[in-house]
Amino acid sequence: MNALTPNRPAVPAPVGLLAELTHRCPLRCPYCSNPLELDRRSGELDTATWQRVLTEASGLGVLHVHLSGGEPTARNDIVEITKTCADLGLYSNLITSGVGGALAKLQALYDVGLDHVQLSVQGVDAQNAEKIGGLKNAQPQKFAFAAKVVELGLPLTLNSVIHRGNIHEVSGFIDLAVKMGAKRLEVAHTQYYGWAYVNRAALMPDKAQVDESIRIVEAARERLKGQLVIDLVVPDYYAKYPKACAGGWGRKLMNVTPQGKVLPCHAAETIPGLEFWNVNDHSLGDIWRDAPAFTAYRGTDWMKEPCRSCDRREKDWGGCRCQALALAGDAAATDPACSLSPLHAKVRALATEEAAETPPDYIYRTIGSNVRSPLKEEVDS
Amino acid sequence: MNAVFPTPDAADSQRLLSPEELEAALRDIGARRYHNLHPFHRLLHDGKLSKDQVRAWALNRYYYQAMIPVKDAAVLARMTDAALRRIWRQRIVDHDGDHEGDGGIERWLKLAEGVGFDRDYVLSTRGILSATKFSVEAYVHFVSEKTLLEAIASSLTEMFSPTIISERVAGMLKNYDFITKDTLAYFDKRLTQAPRDADFALDYVKQHATTPELQRRAMAALTFKCNVLWTQLDALYFAYVAPGMIPPDAWRPGEGLVADAAPVRAAAAGGKMTAADRPRLPRGVRLRNDETRGKYVLLAPERTFDLDDNAVAVLKLVDGTRSVADIADELGRTYAADPRAIEADILVMLDGLAEKRVLER
Repeated sequence: MNALTPNRPAVPAPVGLLAELTHRCPLRCPYCSNPLELDRRSGELDTATWQRVLTEASGLGVLHVHLSGGEPTARNDIVEITKTCADLGLYSNLITSGVGGALAKLQALYDVGLDHVQLSVQGVDAQNAEKIGGLKNAQPQKFAFAAKVVELGLPLTLNSVIHRGNIHEVSGFIDLAVKMGAKRLEVAHTQYYGWAYVNRAALMPDKAQVDESIRIVEAARERLKGQLVIDLVVPDYYAKYPKACAGGWGRKLMNVTPQGKVLPCHAAETIPGLEFWNVNDHSLGDIWRDAPAFTAYRGTDWMKEPCRSCDRREKDWGGCRCQALALAGDAAATDPACSLSPLHAKVRALATEEAAETPPDYIYRTIGSNVRSPLKEEVDS
Repeated sequence: MNAVFPTPDAADSQRLLSPEELEAALRDIGARRYHNLHPFHRLLHDGKLSKDQVRAWALNRYYYQAMIPVKDAAVLARMTDAALRRIWRQRIVDHDGDHEGDGGIERWLKLAEGVGFDRDYVLSTRGILSATKFSVEAYVHFVSEKTLLEAIASSLTEMFSPTIISERVAGMLKNYDFITKDTLAYFDKRLTQAPRDADFALDYVKQHATTPELQRRAMAALTFKCNVLWTQLDALYFAYVAPGMIPPDAWRPGEGLVADAAPVRAAAAGGKMTAADRPRLPRGVRLRNDETRGKYVLLAPERTFDLDDNAVAVLKLVDGTRSVADIADELGRTYAADPRAIEADILVMLDGLAEKRVLER
């Protein structure tokens, strides 16, 4: 069949797999990247299926597996799944909140060969952090978890999602990372999909705050060279060019949801009309190559102007499809985060306007909520 | 009297010493009573102390460092000559710095943090031995109450400090794997500051100690200061070496530390890799043969490094036991090339990986 479609772009081998093992999580962060409709425990893939998915991923050329969620340690089989990664030579990265049962499982995860831990911190000041995460007494649990990670000799990355509720703490996050003995810090400005899109007005910082946070990070990088690596994700709405979302659609990464749907990125389900395949029905290799959701925006054939003739089209791959849909109403449009998009000025004005207003209360993430995406309403109408 | 306070013969003399004789007598005091001779320092420099014993030293010594500007301000307050004050005030600047984050006290805090202490704990001075506080405060009182000549003479222990600093830095770097050159940055500055200060103070004392009585007092002041330093080490030895009697409320191992101080060594930001270092890949960094793409890659936290053939050849030999020189020798044999040229190349490459925190030594 491949011979009949000679013009199809070559499919590169995937590098990373984001395994969303569960949507269950003790935290309720208002910028959670999970979808608004969260999967329930009863529908989650079983251990054997995850092990098959990991085996297939390894065969396809996947090198890194990000064990994520929700809170991945909420699964009883997290140690078994991690061991499967180690047995297959896959690099395992635990993306965790560090609360709940995480600490109790850490030693066992270490023993079976866990490679790396990425710990989320919502804020530096405990009261602020616990307000953002929506869980009391989370901060001391996180600190105890971090201490144990470092004591075991596992590399630790701190991940801080930045928004107007904690942007004043950027230098505090840097000090905290050093103090905890982390090797890496991610200063990641909120990306406005899913829950963050719903809460955008409560989260959006102003341009001056963003610029100041970037200045702080750049100064700290110089000062802490060789001690702490700091990765910075700048907020799209204030950027000049968009991010190559997930390294380009269907080029490097795939995301398996708790129920087994395979997505090109974690927000892809917000795009109406895309057909996602499930690991219960297809092999991972077939899905990667042929699932309609993957072929829809792979390569550059789908692009419109100004992307189509742009020199950067194989650098940023047109930016983020989900954001193009959310802001331009068309998933094949240029990401309005790009300064070349006709909508860019409007998007920036929107951000500026929201950042100037008193922030509304957070809408906390929760399973079984009635929150509807304003996005869906826009699309439906 | 000699049995209690043994002093050089010259000090017993009732005659006026020449300036040269006075200097020799002062130096003799240091040769016999400076704290480099204290058993605690011998243990410290020879690598015989445990990490906790080094911590106790760093913590207690902080109190001394923190009070030095207080002492110097007291000396300054007694100087009526502006020219003299201009010179002396430099000592305060050296310790306090010109701005936040600068100066000798800050560098000592870095040292304390470098061995694992929580900065706020050190600043609180809570766990510091009472004996340390008593002797440091005795020094502050001494310079406030005695004559200006005696106050200045008491600072002359700086004549002896370059020796101890060199011994200390070399000994500690060699013997403790948790001590880095960065941690000891305090002493780099003191190597130039101390002799400058001491030269001035020594000249002052030689010029102003113009009677046998004044000379005797200058020598007694220096003796007193040596005792200030010595008793601090007595207290450390008693509490943390033998018999190990830690007084109530003083620091106990485990207290006042950050979550873990292990990354200190890995974070040797200032130091470049040398041929003698034995690099290793830490947990969470793996060299892997990527069969799908037909090449070796270095897998690291949330990133993958593509490697050229040379880098692969080097990393295959990085095992924590081979030194950089060993690796260069081995590659030199394999590729019939000059090992020292290879060594220079791979040092650059390994430094690059260390900076990204995917290689340790």
